[in-house]
Amino acid sequence: MLRKVLVANRGEIAVRIIRALREAGIASVAVYSDADRASLAVKMADEAAHLGPAPSSESYLRIDRILDAARQHGADAIHPGYGFLSENADFAEACADAGIVFIGPPAASIRAMGSKTSARKAAIAAGAPVVPGTEQALREISTAKRIARELGYPVLLKAAAGGGGKGMRQVDREEDLESALRDASSEALRAFRNDEVYVEKLVIEPRHIEIQVLGDHHGHMIHLGERECSIQRRHQKVIEECPSPVMRDHPELREKMGEAALKIARAAGYANAGTLEFLVDRDRNFYFLEMNTRLQVEHPVTELATGVDLVQWQLRIAAGEPLTLEQDAVHWSGSAIECRVYAEDPDHQFMPSPGKITHLEQPSGPGVRLDSGVYQGWNVPLEYDPMLAKVAAWAPTRELATERMRRALREFVVAGIRTNIAWFDEILSSPDFRSGALSTAFLDRFERAAREAPDLETEAAAALVAAMSSMKPAAPLKGAGTRARSMWLDAGRAEILR
Amino acid sequence: MKVEVVIDGRAARLEFDPGRFRYQREDGGVIEGEHSVVQLNSGAYSVLIGGRNYAVVAGAPGEVIVNGRVFTAAVFDPRGMRGRQSKDAGEGRRNIVAMMPGKVVRILVADGAAVEAGQGLIVVEAMKMQNEMKSPKAGRVVEVKVSEDATVAAGDVLMVIE
Repeated sequence: MLRKVLVANRGEIAVRIIRALREAGIASVAVYSDADRASLAVKMADEAAHLGPAPSSESYLRIDRILDAARQHGADAIHPGYGFLSENADFAEACADAGIVFIGPPAASIRAMGSKTSARKAAIAAGAPVVPGTEQALREISTAKRIARELGYPVLLKAAAGGGGKGMRQVDREEDLESALRDASSEALRAFRNDEVYVEKLVIEPRHIEIQVLGDHHGHMIHLGERECSIQRRHQKVIEECPSPVMRDHPELREKMGEAALKIARAAGYANAGTLEFLVDRDRNFYFLEMNTRLQVEHPVTELATGVDLVQWQLRIAAGEPLTLEQDAVHWSGSAIECRVYAEDPDHQFMPSPGKITHLEQPSGPGVRLDSGVYQGWNVPLEYDPMLAKVAAWAPTRELATERMRRALREFVVAGIRTNIAWFDEILSSPDFRSGALSTAFLDRFERAAREAPDLETEAAAALVAAMSSMKPAAPLKGAGTRARSMWLDAGRAEILR
Repeated sequence: MKVEVVIDGRAARLEFDPGRFRYQREDGGVIEGEHSVVQLNSGAYSVLIGGRNYAVVAGAPGEVIVNGRVFTAAVFDPRGMRGRQSKDAGEGRRNIVAMMPGKVVRILVADGAAVEAGQGLIVVEAMKMQNEMKSPKAGRVVEVKVSEDATVAAGDVLMVIE
């Protein structure tokens, strides 16, 4: 049994883990950088420790400082969340050396599965299908050209240590290969401090479907089915769902993919929660891509569809308890969809939009789950990932879950910064999404409807509120830096003071 | 109460009292009738027009969200503003003020030029969004206080019309 857990992360996932800890009666320690002192995670945790300046290299990526904080606060375990140090085998090892439980797989499994090239080898050894390509990092352009020619264009260059689309390049013609390889390696070096890049055949318009596994340290492992994550923008998932629409008509695919996932994970000596990503082509052939040796961002859809709390199981498994859930006790019910709400402006090339949230209304009501890391008045820092919150909706059918999600998004109002909330409604209303005909090319082809001029009445409503709020008496001035007053008043004051 | 507004780059004149309003777009569209506006909390309002509900949030400077859709919004010459009468009473000088921080991308009129009410004066870009500021009255440009490419803060006076 764990007594106190340090959460080595920030944002919504830190909040998610702190909630699980409280439910389990385990004390929580949040960590924070200079930019996150006032974060929701710190507010919710029992204890909190300062790590350092805002850049993650000086805070959330500092193994030494995180271990110091864990020791000072007497934490007996560390939950790494996702991103940051979650898939860093050295960190897992350093925790073990310090006598602190790492809530995740053994360091050796992270090593075996952490690099995409070694994960491929493990999958091939386990007899699971992989996308044709190299297992070795490309060093020479001549080798790269030879292999790409054998595979046939188009090919995909990928960072061995990668994730999130960094260090990834599609190459359609041999003449583009050299520059693409150079770009991919330098991007990989910057993002992961590892410039190794390998090449795969590009599977045309595949679905991205992943399998959740859960295993204990006593040799028992099960899968919790799939998540369809085909809707991606620049290789970043934006909408995920469980079950995948393809499983509706082909339920046998879940069993086949689940078996393949378990074979690979067992071969890696895996324990705790993990996810195996696959590409599924139009003929429902599936190919292992990579394994994420951590909790996934999109884990709520699995939790909603199966009723299994993944984070609670992570805690129990890390404490050495057996996984008492059997494969045949896992059932999938209804349909769950998740949208990732980012601080970015879909009207302007998805430019990041950090800054202060001046007004916030968050969705709730039947079948809606919100995993949020923000509050009204929170200043979204520019140093980190722009994800603010995840909205998930569950309903008995995919159609109803879609409508429920649209309803929830309509309730979600964020002012002061721009978000992608309104964009989701367009996607969820599109015929391709409705029919479930998804592929990773979905958003490349998705064209946003032109912004129609509003009707006069809507415009009048906007004008009435703009005019009225410009006339409210000014709030008392607290200090030169506060901006609690209306900007219209500021403008008016500037006029008056002239 | 009469104000000039620019909603999403479209200039209009809004007249309202606690029960009725008249909204006339510069391009000629007119709507009038009864309204009911209540403030729910800091920035949230419920606006009823003809029994239809508009959930409106005035959360950020120069921005209004109506039923989830974001509009840029600027208001000029609110006559009821405190201290208003101390200067600039009646038909005198009018300052054209930046509604949000941004960059001046175009100046559409020269110093000394005659302008019509509603005529475009200056274009300011903020977060890649261009906002054309219009003349609140017919008159003459007596001063252009900024140049193209200048960075301006919210509340900066950009131009003076007399």
